[in-house]
Amino acid sequence: MQAGLKLKTGRIDLSDGDRAFSLQVEDLKLTPGKTVALTGASGSGKTLLLEVLGLLRRPGAGTLYEWFAEDGASVNLVSLWVNGPRNPDLALQRGRIFGFVPQTGGLMPFLNVEENIALPQQVTGKLDANWCRDLMDRLGLADVSRQLPAQLSIGQRQRTAIARALAHRPPFVIADEPTAALDPESADRVLTLLLEMAEEGGSGVILSSHDLDRMARFGIDRLSLVSRTGEQGEALSVLEGTSC
Amino acid sequence: MLIAELALRDLIRDRFFLFCNVAVMVGILVPLLVLFGVKNGVYSALIGDMLADPANLQIDTAGNATLGEAEIAPLRDWPEIAFLTPRVRSQFDYMNVRAKGGRRFRTALVLPSGEGDPTLPPGTALAVDTVVLSAQLAKQLEVQAGDTIQMISQAEDRPRQLLLEKTVGLVLAETAVAGRAVMAPFETLDLIEAFYDSYSLPEYNIVGTKPLESRVAVYSGLRVYARSLEGLAPLQTRMENELGLSTTARTRDVESLLGLGRKLNLALAGTATLAAIGLGAALVLGFWSDVARKRVVLAGIALIGVPSRQLALFPIIQALTTAILGLLLSFLFYALAGQGAAALFADGLPGNAPLAVISLPQSLGISALVLLLVLLASGAAAWSAQRLDPASVLREGQ
Repeated sequence: MQAGLKLKTGRIDLSDGDRAFSLQVEDLKLTPGKTVALTGASGSGKTLLLEVLGLLRRPGAGTLYEWFAEDGASVNLVSLWVNGPRNPDLALQRGRIFGFVPQTGGLMPFLNVEENIALPQQVTGKLDANWCRDLMDRLGLADVSRQLPAQLSIGQRQRTAIARALAHRPPFVIADEPTAALDPESADRVLTLLLEMAEEGGSGVILSSHDLDRMARFGIDRLSLVSRTGEQGEALSVLEGTSC
Repeated sequence: MLIAELALRDLIRDRFFLFCNVAVMVGILVPLLVLFGVKNGVYSALIGDMLADPANLQIDTAGNATLGEAEIAPLRDWPEIAFLTPRVRSQFDYMNVRAKGGRRFRTALVLPSGEGDPTLPPGTALAVDTVVLSAQLAKQLEVQAGDTIQMISQAEDRPRQLLLEKTVGLVLAETAVAGRAVMAPFETLDLIEAFYDSYSLPEYNIVGTKPLESRVAVYSGLRVYARSLEGLAPLQTRMENELGLSTTARTRDVESLLGLGRKLNLALAGTATLAAIGLGAALVLGFWSDVARKRVVLAGIALIGVPSRQLALFPIIQALTTAILGLLLSFLFYALAGQGAAALFADGLPGNAPLAVISLPQSLGISALVLLLVLLASGAAAWSAQRLDPASVLREGQ
């Protein structure tokens, strides 16, 4: 079995009072080292799908979601939810398989740049100071390595978040609109660095974006979430495209 | 432990809020510590003053009773009795005393004593041919420890007086026994009583009307010392009930002081309970609001793979660190306040005793209680922290 994430017959139903929303994914395969962009209109469920993929939200009943490692070992990621959303195994697998780049950094305000980047290595036990240094050098953070996030520009914070997401060489980096808060020039530079460093580290990238032009310019494969109306009249979002 | 390091780093960065919580603790703890310390200091001084006089622990049977050894023997096993000695009839406990070779007699009260008598310094043994003198008597006789004294009976109608030569084993401090007194083993007093009862004492060349062998040991009363002030009243009641005798003791004075201590403890406990409720409520809300304020940061820690249970430790570690700082500062301010009070009220207490006193075990107990209170107060924050949704970092950002 090829290494990667496999999600089949996935469905997540949300309701809020008299409003209902469903996200449907028939068959999705993601391979480490590859980059894929989830696109779709606002409210189409891009972040929701990232949460499911990143072990941050319980998938709906009937969903099959597995992780196949390079060595052939597999983990049933749905079964991790059996013991509740706060069980340690879930957190452990999330830390091992994924790195995260939120929209606005999500850095620890009390740690400096270097310490923020090294944090996932400490959590997962994969200590590699050289790789941290490489990431800081390549992402232009060496000069600000001792500074706290509050002392950085937005672009520097986002580059720090990218370095932190890649620090423990996870199979996948989940990036939720990582360039949304940046000006176009900075966005291109940050996205370039994310893709380059992910490739260098052997990590795949799953990012969400509504910026179709930029995705096209960077030649990133797209999986689109298309909004429809479900059989019960609920808002339904369906993922088109299956594998990357 | 990574979570502890993160919690402490965050606490240092957020030191303004740390100081706020510490200030709340110090503001409540210092007045309580001062109250507790002063209560301890004043009460301990009063208790110490009372304990300094062994007579406050003493119980005497009233009048002349008739007690046999069989009635006295069970009392020797009562744990609440520190020292017990029978007494002879009260009309026979005065003797004329002089230094050997001296000319001037002094009349002195002869008191039964022995090892364990609280009137004597701890560990003082009293051999049969040894006595202990009160400071006043020793001064008037001009004798000191090691000298020999002569004790002579006062039976004017007898052709020959009883003369006992005894070595002075010790001279008591002036505060120990008032007046002229000789502390002697009970056997000495028993011998004196036998003389006054007209028994023959061939060893002392006394010819009486009855042979000593025919004498049955009967005691006219008891002198008993309670082991503690708290045990005085119950012991007096027990003695009166079981011996059927009335007794005299300074029970009213002792109970009055102990009652004062109990009332002070009650008042302090009430104050401390109210303060603890207030402090607990302030800390619960303080720690909880801290977690709410830092929810994205905490969720960010969970996002990168730290389990929720460890996340719960984050506010607990911060709370305990806050408590330790609060305790250190509180005890520091208490010590300063204690020194200030000592300077203001110097010589206010007997024996220059310190005005505010908190012992090490009491300090450790207070610290443990405060840490427990803070631990409980941080429970809500811990519960809140471990329920944080790591996905909120993606949805809400920072």
